[in-house]
Amino acid sequence: MSLISIPFLIFVIILLIIYYKIPKEHQWKVLLIFSLVFYMWVRPLYVVFILTSIISTWFLMKNPVKSHFILTIIINLGILIVFRYSIYFDIHDLIVPFGISFYTFMTLGYAHDCYDKKIEPSDNFFHYALFILYFPQITEGPIGTYQHMKDQLISYHGFELSNIKEGGYRIIKGLFKKLVIAGRLNYYVNTVFSTPNMYGGLTLIIAVFFYAIELYADFSGYMDIACGISKMLGINLAENFRRPYFSRNIQEYWRRWHISLNEWFKNHLMLPAVTSKWNKKISKVMYKIFPKAKKGNIRTVFPLILVWIVTGIWHGAEVVYIGWGVYFAIIMLFSVCTASYIKKLREKLHWNDDNTFIKIFQTLRTFLIVCIGEVMFRAESMKDALFIYKTIFTKTRISIQTILAALTPFGNGNQAVASVIIVILLIAGLFIIELLQEKGSALFTGHRYVYGCILLIITALFGVMGQSGFMYQAF
Amino acid sequence: MKKIVKTLLIAFLVIMAAVIFKNLYSSKIPIGNRGIKAAVDAGDLKVLLIGSSTFRSNVDMPMMDDAFDGKVFDISYGGNQCVAVDIQYDEIRKRSDNTYDLMLFELGPLMLTEEVMLSDSRIIWDMSWDGKKRLWSKMYESGNTDLPMMYEYFVTSGFDDLITYPVTEPIYATRYYKGAKTDETVSPGREYLENEEFDISDLEESDAQTAAVKELIDKCIKDGQDFIFIETPPYYRLYNDPVYQKYLSVFIDLLEERNVKYILASDVDFDNTDPENYEDMNHMSYKGRTLYTKELIKMLSK
Repeated sequence: MSLISIPFLIFVIILLIIYYKIPKEHQWKVLLIFSLVFYMWVRPLYVVFILTSIISTWFLMKNPVKSHFILTIIINLGILIVFRYSIYFDIHDLIVPFGISFYTFMTLGYAHDCYDKKIEPSDNFFHYALFILYFPQITEGPIGTYQHMKDQLISYHGFELSNIKEGGYRIIKGLFKKLVIAGRLNYYVNTVFSTPNMYGGLTLIIAVFFYAIELYADFSGYMDIACGISKMLGINLAENFRRPYFSRNIQEYWRRWHISLNEWFKNHLMLPAVTSKWNKKISKVMYKIFPKAKKGNIRTVFPLILVWIVTGIWHGAEVVYIGWGVYFAIIMLFSVCTASYIKKLREKLHWNDDNTFIKIFQTLRTFLIVCIGEVMFRAESMKDALFIYKTIFTKTRISIQTILAALTPFGNGNQAVASVIIVILLIAGLFIIELLQEKGSALFTGHRYVYGCILLIITALFGVMGQSGFMYQAF
Repeated sequence: MKKIVKTLLIAFLVIMAAVIFKNLYSSKIPIGNRGIKAAVDAGDLKVLLIGSSTFRSNVDMPMMDDAFDGKVFDISYGGNQCVAVDIQYDEIRKRSDNTYDLMLFELGPLMLTEEVMLSDSRIIWDMSWDGKKRLWSKMYESGNTDLPMMYEYFVTSGFDDLITYPVTEPIYATRYYKGAKTDETVSPGREYLENEEFDISDLEESDAQTAAVKELIDKCIKDGQDFIFIETPPYYRLYNDPVYQKYLSVFIDLLEERNVKYILASDVDFDNTDPENYEDMNHMSYKGRTLYTKELIKMLSK
């Protein structure tokens, strides 16, 4: 059941009515039942795998000893690997249970926290089951933590109009991002990336920029809808995005993009890897080779490479995803290793980080670095990605002809000019809104009804309907 | 709660007002050089062309203009389908008392295989409410409708043009002359045309499109309208395809059963093996268009 569909709307309305009408001790049970129905809606068989994960993890982590922890990892990663990466072993008939990458990471995070004694294992199987199955976050995250969710999920929430208002506003904002921005860019991006050899450098550059915006609008739009629905139920999901395209460096970008996944990697892979014995041993050897390097930097090199390769593989085992992970690992390492030199250079040149031009330069530079990486993330093969890089860097020309050619993926000539104008205005609108939010302007918080009304009208008149899927569902 | 209801109500009213305006009144917005309103405003004509984008690309309007004393117009768009041609004929008839000495309809064999659909949102802008309803009911009868399609058809389609009208209209105006395109397109070359992939083997006849041809012919005969069906020559690779030839025969049978005049590609002295004459399999380059139109005018003059 898609989050943008009539059945889902009916589903949520029925849930809200029952949720706020029944006695308070049964509220969380209703959530569990509805979450189970939501999960089983499309393919009831899927539930077998998620229940296997839930049951095994809950029983094993009741007593969180090392052997149980390892067994939990084997079971959950085993199911994930078989389904997510089966295509690479010629087992084409397997259908990937939806949300598997997200709920497996939630399960592993829970198991790791229990094992590290950061949390008490859940004493109620159904509470734990609700944590994993909770429907707004099962499809695309956020990858919730048990600490953050457990009390919220099982405690009583009385009806509050402010929650409905705030949730409704988030949903409208999410629909605007998904149906208007992502929906409109989708056609252009798909057309160009499916046959990149048909287009020149300028068209490819535009397609790459559009893809970066589409991905953000699609993914953060989903998050807004999920957070909005959850808010209506009185439950706050973790935020997954904080206007990432306003980041001034790549580390900041990854602290603001897909936050829950990056937090997960930091807590459950990066930190354990940095403090691991093997890393200490490697660091010692490395330090002998590079005696002038900072110890802290040396100790992060291998964990960083590991984390980024795993992040790439989490998205898929294709070469493009691994390449994407390696690309960001190199960028991050370069950034870490050169930080002290850059700092000295800045001092010499008397650069002031608060200068507006420096801020704009840093923001644009970060956006460009991200866009270069996103080529691999979107390209249908590494061959296509390399072709795109080559064309962009060697064959980009700006002339009337190339500008007109760049309009063609918008559709036939009759509508292309109007589409371009509307798309530019809508993207500018989105970024102005985000910029004002970034600067803490009260304009939109103070006039939410007006803003919500305008977004609703724009979404209704300019949205591309009939697109129920979200991009990150594929992961 | 009152504020929420008020906000939703305002949004709903604005959306409804915009949708009603688009559906009922967009066809009345003045557009100088293309579309049904412009054709109606052009008054009595010697020749009116109605077909698809292929027709529009392959017949040169300035040459037709010279040949028919400037009394020509082309409303060839609305998708590669006979249903659209039929509906456009109705629109012209209902919205004016103009007389047309001759109407040229496109004989596009593959138009018989098209699904009834909204393939060019321009038609939404141009048609009256009755025309829109008729096309929608044809789409519905053919089973090509669902909720998102209904939303696109009645709400979003054509809205970009409407909102950007003051900016885009002057730009589009430079590209049209009496409803036809003025682009001087060139051939992409032999290699491209010889290697361009197309697969029409799965195409099947659409009952709705065939019925639209019959309906159009019956209406023209009833109205006493003189008309000719014209097959503009596609590139030889498409022309020689057995599926193309099959539907050409079907189309010809339809016309002959009703004693309708037609001019086939083979009746005109035109080289459809010369790649310089084509932009793609269907659409001619500027060179091809002018060569073909010259021959077509000769045929029409006969």
